[in-house]
Amino acid sequence: MKFFSYALGIIICFVVIVGFEETSIYAKSKVDTFALCLECHPKTKDLTMKGRVHQPLKEGKCTECHNPHVSKHPTLLSDIGGELCYNCHDRKKGFIGIVVHRPVEEGNCLVCHNAHSSDIKALLKKAGGDGCFSCHPKEGIIAKKNIHPEVRKGNCSSCHNPHASDREGLLNKDRRSLCAGCHTETVAFANMHMGYKVGGSDCLGCHSPHSSNRKGILKASLHKPFEENKCSSCHVAGSTAVVRTGMSLCVDCHKTSMEGFNKISNHLILGKNDSFCNSCHNPHASDERYLLKDKEKRVCYECHTDTKDYVAKSAHKHPKIGECLDCHVAHGSNALFFLSKGSNTCSQEKCHETQGTFTHPIGEKIIDPRSKVAMDCSTCHNPMGSPESSILRFEKDKELCVQCHQM
Amino acid sequence: MSSNVSGAKVMIRKINTNDNGQQASYISWKVFSYIQLLILFVLYFLFPVQLYSKEKAEIKVVAVISGDEIVGKLNKPSGLFFDEIRKRLYVADSGNNRLISFDSEFKYLNELSHEELILPTSIVRNKEGHFFILDNGKADIIFIDLEKKVVEPLSLTGIPPGKEKFVPGRIAIDKANRLYIIDKLNKRLLIVEQTGKFVREITVKDKNFLGLTDVRVDNNGDIYAVDAVSGSVYVFDNKGEMVSRFGGRASSIGTLRFPVSLAIDKNGLIYVVDQHAGKVSVFDKKGSLQYTIAKPGVKEGELSNPSYIFIDREGRIYLIDGNRIQVFKE
Repeated sequence: MKFFSYALGIIICFVVIVGFEETSIYAKSKVDTFALCLECHPKTKDLTMKGRVHQPLKEGKCTECHNPHVSKHPTLLSDIGGELCYNCHDRKKGFIGIVVHRPVEEGNCLVCHNAHSSDIKALLKKAGGDGCFSCHPKEGIIAKKNIHPEVRKGNCSSCHNPHASDREGLLNKDRRSLCAGCHTETVAFANMHMGYKVGGSDCLGCHSPHSSNRKGILKASLHKPFEENKCSSCHVAGSTAVVRTGMSLCVDCHKTSMEGFNKISNHLILGKNDSFCNSCHNPHASDERYLLKDKEKRVCYECHTDTKDYVAKSAHKHPKIGECLDCHVAHGSNALFFLSKGSNTCSQEKCHETQGTFTHPIGEKIIDPRSKVAMDCSTCHNPMGSPESSILRFEKDKELCVQCHQM
Repeated sequence: MSSNVSGAKVMIRKINTNDNGQQASYISWKVFSYIQLLILFVLYFLFPVQLYSKEKAEIKVVAVISGDEIVGKLNKPSGLFFDEIRKRLYVADSGNNRLISFDSEFKYLNELSHEELILPTSIVRNKEGHFFILDNGKADIIFIDLEKKVVEPLSLTGIPPGKEKFVPGRIAIDKANRLYIIDKLNKRLLIVEQTGKFVREITVKDKNFLGLTDVRVDNNGDIYAVDAVSGSVYVFDNKGEMVSRFGGRASSIGTLRFPVSLAIDKNGLIYVVDQHAGKVSVFDKKGSLQYTIAKPGVKEGELSNPSYIFIDREGRIYLIDGNRIQVFKE
């Protein structure tokens, strides 16, 4: 027994001594490495003087990120972009989601952060909103008269996650509960909403989250009864319930709207919403034309996901690709593809008014020998996007013309 | 082949001449790998797994109808029907506000224009030879008796009110002359007698369901419907119970990008027009992809904007593709 106690003691002493020795050698070596780096990179010392220093630099571990001998990446980095950062910063913790901030997606962490040190928390290059406004121009966000206080303070991260989120707009919470975090349902709050209980509603449906020229940062265009405080035109007095269900509520005033749907192709489909008209429109307020509930392309892409994917992967796009209603009719059309002017859509409103007069002839009498139908702009161009320049359907020097003009 | 043979020789030589344990183990692994490959081959032939969608090459175009000097150019044809008794093809030439008939060789026969027909888009015929036309311009079903020269709206009675206004979508007809009408805004399928009297409704109990685009009924009374926005095909039995759902919007094998129409052939296969993919995907009743027809493009036999499909008893497949109708046959 005694023998075992002695042996155990000896082993423990050996492990402690050797371990200590090993640690000392390691630390000494690293300190020496940092000192070695400073011999040629003396300015690095200044970087350690800032308020916040990246942990590897603080510990003098330059080789955590840089290879002292050789690298295929700039500044002798041991890996490229975000991949290097993810060696220590677990990607699964906050960097993945349904919506990912583009710099994160592209691995460009240094768009927002400094690699070595900064006087701003999280090693940010610029404080608060100033960092965000470098890419997201201020003019589009806070140029209007009434500004959301958090936006004015530059506290973008109060509502948005700068890395990734499962919600559109990289929001921290879902649209219905985000605002309630600050705006509680007080008496004043209820009075501002004409006494209607709007708690749990989608505030962003009526209010601009950033800035607006309207009081209460309401969106730019208002539905007439809403603007005139005639809530009971649509709602049961004192309740958010509507006086009539479905589209009949809207058609009572918008009597001619149904005519627009009585076409060969129409958008009479309920989609993801319970109310037909609300599938695309906001009945109260909007920053978009036609009181659309969101940006035009977002409204259309909600159902046309396939088109969204196609457009996203197309190298060449029509410059008005997100403004769907410039070419298409939303309610219904007697033309193919819901085009507003059929095969003359491209030349409408002086977009391409000279087309067909100085290039390849098109029109009813010019028949595509392949399909035996009349040629129009879309015979050669794909307005929804293409891998080829000028959104051509085929490569212009070798393939396009020989589709019809055989050698 | 020769390398395999020489490889086998090498192996035999090594087995014969080398009694080293490591080498023997290497050889046994090699033999084991060959056996594995052989088993995989056998399994593949016994239980074939579909790794890619096969285009059925034997199906060729037998006719293209886009109009001529006599009939004029077709303008957004939206529906068609082949009358097996009279051997006539009827086309709803919607943009020209008319119905056109062709013989079985697709030669122009006649046309019907009427003040009650504004934008005819879907067309079926009952056993007595009467037509039922969906007219999108009037948002109504039109009844046509050519012999008596009657063209009038079909009055629907007893329809349970929905949350939204009733707007009819495409129609189908069964052996008992019952009409199947898509109720576009109330997400349901209405079944009515040919007199317009309500029989029953079918609702789709599926969280992905967004609205019906086209419907067909087979000889057993089983109902087939397609939802373009969710990319799904639904199969119901003759009692209206959903028996299968397949598709889903994606680009992978067995999924659909934007299915807008469907038809059933005499073998019970389901032909689904995938408008954005420019092809027809053919499934069995359980939703297993069998093969595809056509490919995207504008040439004869290719599809640029397919919107409607019909299959006649001879197996001819009629596809409305933009302003032309292509007829395929195996």
